[in-house]
Amino acid sequence: MFALLEEAGFKRVKSAVVPGFRFRQQSTQNSAEAFGVKAVMMTAEKPPEA
Amino acid sequence: MKADDQASLEAVLKDEIIRMYEEVAENPEAEFHFFHGRDAAELFGYDAAWLDEAPAGAVASFAGVGNPHERANLQAGETVLDLGSGAGLDAIVASRFVGPAGRVIGVDLNPSMCLKARAHAAATGTTMECHEGRMEEIPLPDATADVVISNGVINLSFRKRQVVEEMFRVLKPGGRISITDIVSAKQLSQSIVNDPKLWAA
Repeated sequence: MFALLEEAGFKRVKSAVVPGFRFRQQSTQNSAEAFGVKAVMMTAEKPPEA
Repeated sequence: MKADDQASLEAVLKDEIIRMYEEVAENPEAEFHFFHGRDAAELFGYDAAWLDEAPAGAVASFAGVGNPHERANLQAGETVLDLGSGAGLDAIVASRFVGPAGRVIGVDLNPSMCLKARAHAAATGTTMECHEGRMEEIPLPDATADVVISNGVINLSFRKRQVVEEMFRVLKPGGRISITDIVSAKQLSQSIVNDPKLWAA
């Protein structure tokens, strides 16, 4: 997603992991961890000249 | 994947997404594999006052994965687009920030969720537009919004590049996004990609 935002023309792209996010079911959580799944917050700006 | 196969899978996925999130809205007491409702919103730092003032149905149906308001820095008078607005909680919270001079627009795949969101917003004394549509083809003109927020929705798309390009298009020059979503560090297996139930999760 980070790269997609930059490639689309967004500037000042920032991301941070959402603390505390997890799946309710342990089996889903285990699968998510195996694939490196996490919740993130992303902010970015469209340049004024765009 | 062939284009025809992807189109077919996307159609099935659309139905599964509608089914799953309608189930959350219609039966919020049920247990899902993700946290939802007030518990989830509080976990992500939603202000108790926001939740107390929002209609119970909007809070109970919340199925986000974070708090896009935390860094959105919404200002009075701004136009906000909530991409994948669901039952309307994030739009209602946004309306608190932009006030009566602002404008809150929701877009959701499911027309019945738009009906719910509008009703929930009206119950709080705010106005929210909601348009049925896909995030890959946002049904709004260029340069409409000052801010795009979204919460746990973009990951559902097979065409994320197109979604990102659409967010860019509908933003005014100098506009910004504040989104929370699920990302994966590894390529998902084809068995997951081909399973609409897992993808919709």
